[in-house]
Parts: sequence; C-alpha cells; structure tokens
Amino acid sequence: MSWSKRLVPYWLLGPGIVWLVLFFVVPMYFMGEIALRSGTPIEGFTFTWEWSNFPDALSGNTEQIFRSLYYAGVATILALAIGYPLAYAIVFRGGRFRLLLLFAVIAPFFTTYLIRTIAWKTILSDSSPVVDVLEVFSLAPGDGRVLATSGAVIAGLTYNFLPFMILPLYASLERLDGRLIEAAKDLYSNSFTAFRKVTLPLTAPGIVAGVLLTFIPAFGDYLNAQLLGGPQQQMVGNVIQLLFLNQRDYPEAAALSFLMMALIMIIVFVYIRFAGIGAFMGDEDPEEKT
Amino acid sequence: MRRARARAAVKLALAAAATVALSLTVWACGGTIGGIANNPVEVAESNGPPEGDVTISNWPGYIQPNEGGEPGTISQFEKATGIKVDYIEDVNDNNEFFGKMRPLLEQGESGGRSIFVVTDWMAKEMYDFHFLQEIEPSSIPEVFKNLVPNLKNPKFDPGRKFSIPWQTGMTGIWVDESKAPEIKSVNDLFDPKYKGKVTMLQEMRDTVPLVMKAEGVDFEEATDEDWLKAIEKIEDAAASGQIRRFTGNDYTEELTAGNIVAAIGWSGDASIVANPDAEWIMPEQGCVIWSDNMVIPIGAPNVGAAFAFMDFVYEPEVAAGLTEYITYISPVKGVQELVPKELADDPLVFPSPEFQKSCSIQGSPPDPETVSKAWANVVAG
Repeated sequence: MSWSKRLVPYWLLGPGIVWLVLFFVVPMYFMGEIALRSGTPIEGFTFTWEWSNFPDALSGNTEQIFRSLYYAGVATILALAIGYPLAYAIVFRGGRFRLLLLFAVIAPFFTTYLIRTIAWKTILSDSSPVVDVLEVFSLAPGDGRVLATSGAVIAGLTYNFLPFMILPLYASLERLDGRLIEAAKDLYSNSFTAFRKVTLPLTAPGIVAGVLLTFIPAFGDYLNAQLLGGPQQQMVGNVIQLLFLNQRDYPEAAALSFLMMALIMIIVFVYIRFAGIGAFMGDEDPEEKT
Repeated sequence: MRRARARAAVKLALAAAATVALSLTVWACGGTIGGIANNPVEVAESNGPPEGDVTISNWPGYIQPNEGGEPGTISQFEKATGIKVDYIEDVNDNNEFFGKMRPLLEQGESGGRSIFVVTDWMAKEMYDFHFLQEIEPSSIPEVFKNLVPNLKNPKFDPGRKFSIPWQTGMTGIWVDESKAPEIKSVNDLFDPKYKGKVTMLQEMRDTVPLVMKAEGVDFEEATDEDWLKAIEKIEDAAASGQIRRFTGNDYTEELTAGNIVAAIGWSGDASIVANPDAEWIMPEQGCVIWSDNMVIPIGAPNVGAAFAFMDFVYEPEVAAGLTEYITYISPVKGVQELVPKELADDPLVFPSPEFQKSCSIQGSPPDPETVSKAWANVVAG
C-alpha cells in the first residue's frame, strides 16, 4: 500500500476533525477561559484563575440542577415507553403505510420547536376542553390547571424530543430479522420470552442511542420550562440564560455551563459502561466475539 | 521514508495546533470582557442629507402598521423622505436586548442598527458604558420643539443629551373584572384566593417598586433593604405557587386565554389584550411611570436618517397616528387635539396629574448588582 493510500482514512477524518476543533474545542477553550475570570459587569471581567466560580455556580443552583436531571430522566423514560411500542407497531404492523406513519412522526418537525411549544400553551390553557376533561378524571396536576406545573414541563419535553427516541428505535427494529423471532418461538419460547431474549437485545443499540439523544437535549432545554412552567419549574438552562443575558455574569454562566457539560459526560460514560460499549457502537451481537 | 513523511505531517499539524492555541491564549487572556468601553462618548453627526437605508430596533406592536389601505408610520416616513427603513421588532426585554447587543457594541458596532428603543434606565446604562452617541438639539429641531415640558429634564438624562422619548407608560395591574373585581391594590395579588392565577413582570424595575409602594415604602427614598424585603415577599409568593409565572409582554396572552385573573402589566396594552373583561387599573398605592426612548448607538451607520426619523415621529399628526394605534402616552405636544374624542378622554392615554398623583418615576436600586442578583434567584425559582 502506498503512503498516500495509507493517509486516506486521515483525509476522510479531516472534515470531522476540523469541525470538532472549530465548533467544540475552540468554544470549550473560550468558555473555560471565561469561567476563570473575575470582576463585575461594570468593571469588566479579567482573567485571574478564579477557580471559586465553579463551586459558586454549583452551590447556588443545586435545586435547578437536580430538577433538570429529574425532568429529563422522566421525559426520557416516558419517551421510551411511548416510542418503543410506536416504533414496533410501525415496523411490524405498519405494512404498506410504514413510510407514511414514519413521516407522520417527523411531520411536526416542519413547524419550529418554538411554535409547537406555544401551541401547547393554547391547548392546555386553564379553560380549554382538554384541561376540563383531565380535571374530571382528577388528572390535572395543580389546582385545576396543567400549565405552570412540573407535569406540563415534563410533557412538553417528552413531546418535543419524542422523535429523537423513535427514529433510532425504528432504525434498529427495522433491521431486526423476523425469522429470529420465529425461530425463538419454534424453540418453545412464548411471545414475551422471545421479545426479552431476541427483540430487546437486538434493538439495544437503538434504545441506547434514543435515550442519549433524548436525555441530553432535554437536560439542557430551557424553552419548555420557560413557556410551560412557572417560577418553581425553572431548569438549569433557564439559569444559564438569565446569568448570561440578564445578569451579564459571564464567568458564572460559563462555569455553570462547563460543569453541566462535565456532568452530562459523566452520566453518559457511566450509562454506556452499564449498557455495554457494544450496544452503543451498534455491535449487534457482542457475545459473538468473546 | 513514508513513515517519516507521515510523522512529519503529524508533527506539523501538532505544531500548528499549538501555535493557534498559544496565540488564542495570549489574545484572549490579555483582554477584559465587559466593562465600560474605551472609546470616548461622541456627539452624533449626520453625514450629508438623510437618505439611503436605515435600521430601527423596537419592541413588538409598538408602531402604527399599514392597515386597510392606510399607510402606517414607516410607510409614511419612507414616502416623505425616500429613506428605506428596515424596521425590526427584536427588543423583548431590556436586559436581554442589551445582553445580545453587548458583544457588538464592544466592537464599536450596532449590528447595522441606527436607532434602538429602550427604557429609561437601560438607556442610561448603555450611555454609562459609552455605547450611545450624544444628540445635539439642533440636529433634531422638531423633537425639541414638540417634546412635552415634563419630559425635558428627567433625572437620568437632564436636557435629553442621549435619549429621545418614544412613548411613556404606566405599570399597574391588569384585572379580569369578571373574575376578580375586588382587586384594587398590589397587596390583593398576594391573596391566597387567587393562588396560581396571578402573574408578575420579570422586569425587576416594574414589579418590585409596585410591591414596595403597596407596603408603604416611599419609593424615592427606597434603600437596598427595602428592595430586598419586597423581593423576599415576592419570593415567598412564588414558592407557594401564588405567582403563576414571571412574564414579559406575554401576560397579555395569559389574560386573553383566561389563565389568570390579574397581572402586573403596562397601561397601553389594551390593544393586545383580547379579553373584553380585562382592564388596567391604577393600583391604590400608585403606579410606576417610565418612558421608552430612541437612542443612537455607537457604530450607527446612518445617523442622518435616524435624525430624520426622530423629527418625523415628533410631528403631531404622525404622533397622533401612533397614539391611536398603540394607546400609550405620547411625548409629543398637541396630540390630544388630533385624536378622536373617545381616546382624548382616556385617562390611560392622556393621564391628568391628579390621576398619576401617587405614581413614581421608575428607578434603580442604589446597588443594582446585588439587588438584581437576588431578583434573578426569584425568577429562576
């Protein structure tokens, strides 16, 4: 193999690396640099290795951080609970309507995120029929209302990130060989065992990808809390936005962003470790190699 | 040989990356982010006769649109002067707008804008940061001829060196009279009867002074402790679920949707509150009075056209058209005689001194940084 051929993979990596450096490494560098500044909005912020910004950012906002973890966690579980059966139904029962149904999942994306969330405000307004019905079944979370409650924010997050869950699930379910399930049944497993021993392990990569794609943006989201929540439902994204635009406390905003990124990375690493790297990389049968 | 070349390439890449990182370090660590700009404050000067394009940033719904074949303010101005206007409604919140503009202003640029419309205290803050140009009275004769006397010498800008009033308004209470006719004072908003049915403005300088006044604090003499005490009261109400949300202009939607019975809000919003039962009332202990102002930022590309626009909206006929549509208080003399009688008699649009007797001019706390930090903690739960 000539050396130029050997370099081909590196050339192919090139655009990705340039992208990562320009839009991830450089911004991260600046963010870290700002996070270590001290000063006031009037005097300006100068670089002084102000490490105390990090504990400060954490201690003042623990409530919102835990709230964000909780909301994003519940929204992810709900999205999985709704998304998996839906993707399953589209793949195995969709028949010739498969693509149409998949399109129906993506169709709301043609409207912007903001408009869709505002639309929920109208649908869920206190005197709307939807809320009246929920009230009859005692399902309206706060004194006869849905808006400005945790339930509304979690529902908004679930709704907005649901397609990120469904699409990877669909992709992995679609690749599933139906004959394997038949084989399992031939070997005397009932439907549930076949699902548990065949379908679920083979679609694990889709689940892992869907969970990550839902959890990470939901954790950092601020729009749902801003529009559908009240003062007691604000998430860490809202705090960062306030610090940056309203308080103009750039160092604390940067420090908090940095910490949240680190927190997400730790969660993701632990999760992948737990779910198995094979599942993450889309290795359909990790056992085969061992 | 091949290996060596590949290794050389890697080395070169590493060296390049190190150089970039190092130069970034030197460049970034040297400077200061934020703080007062180094440039001196300059007087705005027109470059030749007004012409060309001009970009104006204003709040949403704050101008007379083209309607029913009648040209709105912008079309009238374009027709009268031949200047092409790019009118953008991108000011939703003073702090947020400043937060967004700041990086540009620090570079001496305004993002192509020649006029911003911001509230008194924000205009003062921008000026103190050296982000605004001063305006000579001779540059805009029509403005200084027609400006109402009581707005000529505000405390924050005596003689109107950098801020030209756009509209004036009052902060008070919007009440849905069909649901809560008993609400007369800001204290009533804390009544547990209305739990979760009340919103307040996210703007600290609107909400906190009203609560302070309701507590009997003399606003002109208010100390940081007075501010913090009022903030604490609001914090408790937010924690108990009494206050449904802190809003910007969107309290009007909450009122329209019937989600709330009362809101702290602005006097001129009748045109956007589509709920016939909702009414703006003067709080028992008085309102907060403020103005939004046209300012010329540093780096404004078309100062001449900005002057022409300011003069134009101070022509009484044009100002009357604006008032008819946006129903705020006009800073222009002679408007009352030009609008329909019904509007001319409206105390919210042409308030008498008697009507406003217990109101206070909007202001900042003595230590804005500490107080606004406490406020941010309330807003972010």
